[in-house]
Amino acid sequence: MMKLDAKGGIWFEKAGKYWGIVAGMKRRLALVGAMVLAESGCQNMPEPYAPPAQRPAVEKFHPYRMQAIVSMSDDDAQAHFVQDITPLATSSWRWTGKKPTVRVKARTDEELRYTIDFVLPEANFRETGPVNIAFLVNDRVLDRARYSNAGDQHFEKPIPAGWITAGQDITVAAEVDTLSAGPPVAPKLGIVLVRIGITQ
Amino acid sequence: MRQAVAALFGAGFTVAGCYAAGTLVIDRLGAALRRDERIPLAFILGAACLHLVIFAILALHIAYWPVLVCVLAGIIVFSLRGGISLRGTAQIGKPVPPLVWPLRVVFGLCAGAFSILYLMNAWAPEVSPDGGGYHLGLVARELRDHGFEKITTNMYAMLSQGVEMLYVPAFAIGRHSAAALVHFCFAIALALAILAYGRRIGKPWAGAAGALLTFASPVVGASGSAAYVDVATAAIVFAVFYWTEIWDEQKDMRLLIPVGLLAGYAYAAKYTAFTIGIYALLFVVWRTKRLRPVLLVTGCALIMAGPWMARNWIWYQNPLAPFGNWLFRNPYIHVLFEHSYAASLRSYGMPSLWPLPMELMIRGGSTYGIIGPAFLLLPAALVALRYQAGRRLLLAGALVFSTYFANIGTRFLIPCLPFFSLAIGMAFAESAPLLGAMMVFHAVASWPPVMKRYVNLNSWRLVRFPYKAALRITPPEKFLMENSYGYAGARMIEEHVPKGEPVFSMTGAADAYTTHDILVSFQSASNQAMADTVNMGWDDELQPSMQRVFRFEARPTRRMRVLQTAQAEDPEQWNVHELRFYYQGKELVRNPSWRLRAWPNPWEVQFAFDNSLATRWRSGEIAFPGMYLDADFGSEQMVDEVRLVTSHDFERVKLRVESMNASNVWENVAENPKLEAGMVPSAIRLMAISEMRERGVRNLLIYDSNYGAADFAKDPEAWGLKLVARGEDVRLYRTIW
Repeated sequence: MMKLDAKGGIWFEKAGKYWGIVAGMKRRLALVGAMVLAESGCQNMPEPYAPPAQRPAVEKFHPYRMQAIVSMSDDDAQAHFVQDITPLATSSWRWTGKKPTVRVKARTDEELRYTIDFVLPEANFRETGPVNIAFLVNDRVLDRARYSNAGDQHFEKPIPAGWITAGQDITVAAEVDTLSAGPPVAPKLGIVLVRIGITQ
Repeated sequence: MRQAVAALFGAGFTVAGCYAAGTLVIDRLGAALRRDERIPLAFILGAACLHLVIFAILALHIAYWPVLVCVLAGIIVFSLRGGISLRGTAQIGKPVPPLVWPLRVVFGLCAGAFSILYLMNAWAPEVSPDGGGYHLGLVARELRDHGFEKITTNMYAMLSQGVEMLYVPAFAIGRHSAAALVHFCFAIALALAILAYGRRIGKPWAGAAGALLTFASPVVGASGSAAYVDVATAAIVFAVFYWTEIWDEQKDMRLLIPVGLLAGYAYAAKYTAFTIGIYALLFVVWRTKRLRPVLLVTGCALIMAGPWMARNWIWYQNPLAPFGNWLFRNPYIHVLFEHSYAASLRSYGMPSLWPLPMELMIRGGSTYGIIGPAFLLLPAALVALRYQAGRRLLLAGALVFSTYFANIGTRFLIPCLPFFSLAIGMAFAESAPLLGAMMVFHAVASWPPVMKRYVNLNSWRLVRFPYKAALRITPPEKFLMENSYGYAGARMIEEHVPKGEPVFSMTGAADAYTTHDILVSFQSASNQAMADTVNMGWDDELQPSMQRVFRFEARPTRRMRVLQTAQAEDPEQWNVHELRFYYQGKELVRNPSWRLRAWPNPWEVQFAFDNSLATRWRSGEIAFPGMYLDADFGSEQMVDEVRLVTSHDFERVKLRVESMNASNVWENVAENPKLEAGMVPSAIRLMAISEMRERGVRNLLIYDSNYGAADFAKDPEAWGLKLVARGEDVRLYRTIW
């Protein structure tokens, strides 16, 4: 049976015993409860932080190197071809003619570099001997090089400022001075092209 | 076909485990139950117990399927050795007259038809938005991790998962459909429990009507045949009520154990169901006027609910996570988000709640689903007040209903439907033909082809009878592609995103069908900060287009702060992209010895000091007086200018600069900052994605319907993104570098 005591507490009777919650106890419980809640809320506050790693200033913000390179293994490589690159695809390279040329676009004109990877096959090299290759950007000769050995070749060189306008089409090419005969009734062969384009 | 069998087996095995556990407890307690009561009540009570076992398995990180199978098998074998049977071994309840044949025919035909409909939908591949989303997404993740992991990027992971715990073994065996089938079994158990209660109070027609009103309710069908938890919650809540009645009849203190366990399990299933625990406690106090029974119920409830509260308190600094963040402040959920989210759940975009009854019963377009036009009879339920059982039902129903307005989605009514359905049945209990006619009307009106003639087409409901998909005659992939909104995005992610990499998305994908973490823009504070940054790329409201400049006489100071002194209106918060200090026109270099503080939202203070114009500290609460950003320089510095780089998406904020003097007292230094135009960097898009990448996220899933989607699609490279894959209405991007 439930009874109220003089202090406003509630008493429960059970088998001759009293199970009581007095009003004072309730107040203390409420106080402790509130303190626990407040404490739990406060303890969540973190220690002050140090300044984090500073991001680069806006004018120096280059999160990645821009690349506009056409790899012969790209699914859409042919969409960039302008001339002298065979449409016959292999997994990662293509034969070229005299002046293989691709068209790319760059969002920026800052600190760009011409880049090309190609191969001079041994069999063809025996026929042509050393070859001279001119590297062109927008039909302007960036550089020329003479190759006296067959095998894998890489050429890379900065493009002078003003040669490229950001956001506009750019033609990137390589011109070979000597071609090999190739198979009968087929065009003459230049180089085996792997990738060509511009990078930052 | 193998998948279909596995789903059935996974669900059947789990349900058998629940039933076996329940019979063990019931027999040990010596509860006298009739067979028709024993089946649903044992299943639901066993589910509560099994949920705790699965919780322990996940906490111990031993959630391998052989472990789960062995545990279930062990429980079943143990029960069988103890003489498990439908009739029970201990006590048989007071016999009641058999159901009359008209009732059997009407109820059997109606409930049978809906059972088959629900079974086929539950058995088919899971296509429900939340089932295929977080409910099973979390279960799948827990199984991949073999246990619980602290997930701070998904507020749904902070909710209790009382029912989902049962989905863990079911999913481990039979994948997604097995979980939905377990939920379907809860729907069956609920209907059987309501029917049995009607017989217990000597009103079998009222029980049958109550059972069918609930079971055939369209929203119950939609939820109960998917991997949701609403119908299971309703079953648990009703079981609490049922056990209080059994205890009241048998006056055996031990029977308060299931009352307490189930009351705690109701909380573990869905927070809003905690009110049934209040009912149980009030009922026990009223009937006994003693403390010990109350303590017994409370203690048993804590056994079930306590582990979830403890987990949240330890992991998320908030036992009520993801709610109550104003009280238990934490870095995981912004207070303002909770405020806005709760407000949206209270209205579902409805300008007024006057149309709500029609919306809930007939239209269902705004609140996603209907309970059925038969519930227009709800006012008649008050007639049940003339019965003692009716008064108890309506009181319990009212208490369960009391939390409904916190979320007015139709499915949030499901837990109180059993009480109101039974009360409607009792109101007409004297007229069996009337109840029979009402049952037939409700069944016809809730049958999908009929329902589509009157509901809003956006109403969530069952729209197909997918028996071919259930039997896997239709390939699951095809069924899911055609019927699951987020499945295409999930598959796209699986195919194109390198293993282990997270994906950021504005609206999410079907988590349960991908192994990747999907970081959804609104689901945590860190995701919100990332969304804010990404959106800064296209939304000029968020961009750093303004500077608030304080100039004052040069002064030496060790510590300065910017104090906000105005009260803004919802939803205006205070935002700062960068806070810079100057002397003679030169910015003070941020030194590692500086110490930065903010109030509120101290966890994101570094965003105002990272030199990035694509991040910003946000107060995370409606701007109120006393908010501050505080920099302790570690040593005395000369300062004559303070600049805040901000957006212009807040107006009512008033700021002043204060400096701490030698007595550690803040002194007012300057007020009324001069407003100057800021310069938004042309590379703001790239900066935004760069920040996303800095936080370890390289993949972005954008639906065509997302704000800003056109900007991403128009020129991905401007963002530093490349398009990786494209679906009918969704695109997957990846950072170029």
